[in-house]
Amino acid sequence: MNINPNIKLFGSLLILVLCTSLSPLIAQSDPTGEKRVTGTYAITNATITTAPGKSMAGATILIKDGLIHAVGTNLSLPAETQLIKADSLFIYPGFIDGASNSGITKPNDPQKGENFNPSDPSDELAGITPWRQVMDHFDPKSNQIADWRKTGFTIAQLIPDGGMLTGKSAIVVFGNSKSSNVLAQNTGLYAKFRGSRGTYPATTLGVMAKFRDLYKNAELSAQHARIFASAAGLTRPEINKTYEAFYPVLDKNIPILFEVADDLEIRRALSLQKELGFRMVLVGVTDVDRVIDEIKGSDTKILLSLNLPDDKAFKDKKDNESEDIKSRLDRVKAAHQNALKQAGILEKAGVKFGFITLGAKSGDMMKNIRLMVANGLSEDAALAALTINNAEILNIQKFTGTLEKGKLANLIISTKPIFAEEAEVKYVMADGYLFDYDLKAKNKGNGIEGVWEYTSETPAGSSGGTIEIKKGDAGYTGTITYDDPAGTGKASTGMNSITYSDNTLSFNFEVPVEGNLLKVNVTGEIKGGSFEGNLSIAEYGSFPMKANKKPNL
Amino acid sequence: MKKFTSIIAALLVLGSMPSMAQTQKGSILIKNATVITITNGTLEDTDVLVENGIIKKVGKNLSASNVQTIDATGKFLMPGIIDAHSHVGLDAVNEATSPITSEVKMEDVVNPYDVGIYRALAGGVTISHAMHGSANAIGGQNITLKHRFGTSNPQDLFMQDAARTIKFALGENPTRVHGRGNNNQPRTRMGVEAVIRNGFNEAIQYKKTWEDYNAALKKKGATPIPPKFDTRLQTLVDILDGKIIIHCHSYRADEIYMLINVCREFNITNIVFSHVNEGFKVAPELAEYTMGASIFADWWAYKFEVYYSTAYNAAILTKNGVVTSINSDSGELIRHLYHEAGKAQRYGELTDDQTLALITINPAKQLGIADKVGSIEEGKQGDLVIFNEHPLSVYAIPQMTFVDGVKYFDINTDANDMRIKVSATDAVEPIFLKEHDERCMHGVDFFFTNFGRNLFEHSH
Repeated sequence: MNINPNIKLFGSLLILVLCTSLSPLIAQSDPTGEKRVTGTYAITNATITTAPGKSMAGATILIKDGLIHAVGTNLSLPAETQLIKADSLFIYPGFIDGASNSGITKPNDPQKGENFNPSDPSDELAGITPWRQVMDHFDPKSNQIADWRKTGFTIAQLIPDGGMLTGKSAIVVFGNSKSSNVLAQNTGLYAKFRGSRGTYPATTLGVMAKFRDLYKNAELSAQHARIFASAAGLTRPEINKTYEAFYPVLDKNIPILFEVADDLEIRRALSLQKELGFRMVLVGVTDVDRVIDEIKGSDTKILLSLNLPDDKAFKDKKDNESEDIKSRLDRVKAAHQNALKQAGILEKAGVKFGFITLGAKSGDMMKNIRLMVANGLSEDAALAALTINNAEILNIQKFTGTLEKGKLANLIISTKPIFAEEAEVKYVMADGYLFDYDLKAKNKGNGIEGVWEYTSETPAGSSGGTIEIKKGDAGYTGTITYDDPAGTGKASTGMNSITYSDNTLSFNFEVPVEGNLLKVNVTGEIKGGSFEGNLSIAEYGSFPMKANKKPNL
Repeated sequence: MKKFTSIIAALLVLGSMPSMAQTQKGSILIKNATVITITNGTLEDTDVLVENGIIKKVGKNLSASNVQTIDATGKFLMPGIIDAHSHVGLDAVNEATSPITSEVKMEDVVNPYDVGIYRALAGGVTISHAMHGSANAIGGQNITLKHRFGTSNPQDLFMQDAARTIKFALGENPTRVHGRGNNNQPRTRMGVEAVIRNGFNEAIQYKKTWEDYNAALKKKGATPIPPKFDTRLQTLVDILDGKIIIHCHSYRADEIYMLINVCREFNITNIVFSHVNEGFKVAPELAEYTMGASIFADWWAYKFEVYYSTAYNAAILTKNGVVTSINSDSGELIRHLYHEAGKAQRYGELTDDQTLALITINPAKQLGIADKVGSIEEGKQGDLVIFNEHPLSVYAIPQMTFVDGVKYFDINTDANDMRIKVSATDAVEPIFLKEHDERCMHGVDFFFTNFGRNLFEHSH
């Protein structure tokens, strides 16, 4: 068939005009050049895993308007399609995070004031803020979001920080920074066994009792409101925002997301659920082997942390320890091994679960998943725990969780099967927006030895210093200088655990602050002579850090 | 051989299965022991048969098929020791933030992994009364534990058929924490009385509010508004209704007599006084109006209100007809309560049965469980200890300890490391400071998390 090329060109222009005219930005010029040319992508000739256990080779996925338009072979592609050749690459559904505190700040504690009575605090002072909305305390520009997106996460349930009842969670997609990116609000009420220091309730004893009390009085308060609405001549209900915040829980519209630290806390949460009858999701579950029957016997959803215990206690121990110490270390080792098996135990017991990033480090995530896989978790179950299971737990499976026509365009493109050790994430697409992690720019094999100048941004301001790395027989050694927190000037200290592989440099060092040693972890990526990463201090958070290598003389 | 291994495998599987609804019950035949029954004298060369956790038969030449037999020739068998005041096996002790915390329950914070439970078993203790601390005038609801060590499930430790009890506290602890510490009531001993009295009066009003509401609900067409729910006051109502036994931390005679009078005023008869160092001064009153006194043998002078004390306390109380027990209040002392009882005999010349009653049937009475445990009688629960010598001998060492006929301690198979759960990251696990009742410790416990509890011994 011979079509006039001008007509074809005209046709595509027409489509382009029609498409773009839907956007309100069309009338404005775009001096920044940031506006993308097209929102239609086709990623071609890849191995596509549409859902755990379901893969097709040589397939193409077509993305349009933020949605998956088609997955398959021999797709007809619209003219405005941007092609991404993905021969030999692997595509997976974007990961979903069951519980995240990325970009979340803790609201300031209110002042206690004079004559404060710790036996009768306001709800806010007692850590009881179920009315809080997490989106009010969320910074979408946080580095943490970018870090996790780079590992493949495209959706997260954000949880608010605070005391025993922190507030309402929300679900966001890690898409274009111009969008609010909110998929759902009021998705759950977050609770934990955290007492309010020096104020009622201060211990688990008080938290359990207070939880029951709040729940039952919320029920009575709702009952009062109903009676008041239907009959005349009655005392008006006293509006209480804490009780009102419980109403969707009482109506079973949303679950309590209960954060648990160990099996005993799992039992405590389960016993509250049994007594009061709310829907529940357990967050940060560990020690499942000790409570597997109780978990199976309850109607509770399970979220597992991507954090795993470290092996420092027994890793570098010498053989000349006493028998007593040796048998102690053997038990620690067995307990550690058991911790790695937890995900596999859940899978074998037929309990569906999802993963969460809460309490985990993005740099360790894939390593930890591989450890779980080596200890009994199947790769399909691992993928399910990162995708469809969490979609179901968050009740968003209708529009995400797998790669199917009509679902959100959230996906990961990796160089190897996603859990393979050498796999690298090349692109992540979230909400139809493409994030390109250009691997070519990485300058492999270029050493890290030499002197680096770094700067870091912390809430205390910008600071910086130098890093000097040397390579010896036993690996890398180094020293770092930093602004001395004790006064003016620079202090310097040795760097520990320096590792460099796959262009990722990580190390840690310790800063003495008022008699304590503050451990600072640094991890980031080397591209040529520049380093970009994060400096993190437990309890305080993660802060951006950049460094440039001085030319070796 | 193959069959044998499969039986072993089956046993291992069964053994590791968590007991869901019912706790384990055992059967055992102990032969030829000197049986100290407590309530029925001492029987030489006597056998005790326990079936399914219950003492089935006490007598001579007993036999039973399919039951493990233990030869206790030359050994002494007594009922499991009962500790009426303990904090072993708890993740938290004091909710020290309010003068009344009757809504909190110790059963919520039981930690079955506490190796202190096993150490208590090694001291022959089969039951402990896991109590709230003494920071508040009215503390939390306690839980009576049977030492079924080895489980992950706290409920397996609960003595489900025990009476409900609650902690009260008088004197320096509540006045220091709330008065001096928080500038709150109670600041003095008078304030402690007022807090308790106000609590009971409020509870009476609370009870009436709900009674009125429930009565109004029954009227046709009525639309009553539900009152506020308050577990704190409801628990006090239950005390007034005789459903809960008070265990009250106390030292001085005047304040003991004060609370006796408050209880008489509110028609409360279920009350036991704990510590009671000056109890000898009000022994007749304790005998007439209370369920008794649970004391230390010779522990005092650790603070001002505990100076006027005597090692004759147990004997004076006993001879005045007070139901008296000796408690530990300590994870260390709980391992040798038989020695503590022995001190009372050394000073006060009590008989062997009177002395051993201090750590068996008398604490059982104070906990409302004397019909089930506390002596070796047919029909009671099979909580037993075998000693090498008479338990009041200074050479006495517990050999085996049974709860419900199941052996939980055997000195011959006593492994070095009896911990059930071990940290995956620390070879030496931090011991957390659990005491929060000292105001001066508020906010600083964070810095002391590596200090042992022994350094900050529980303040009585």
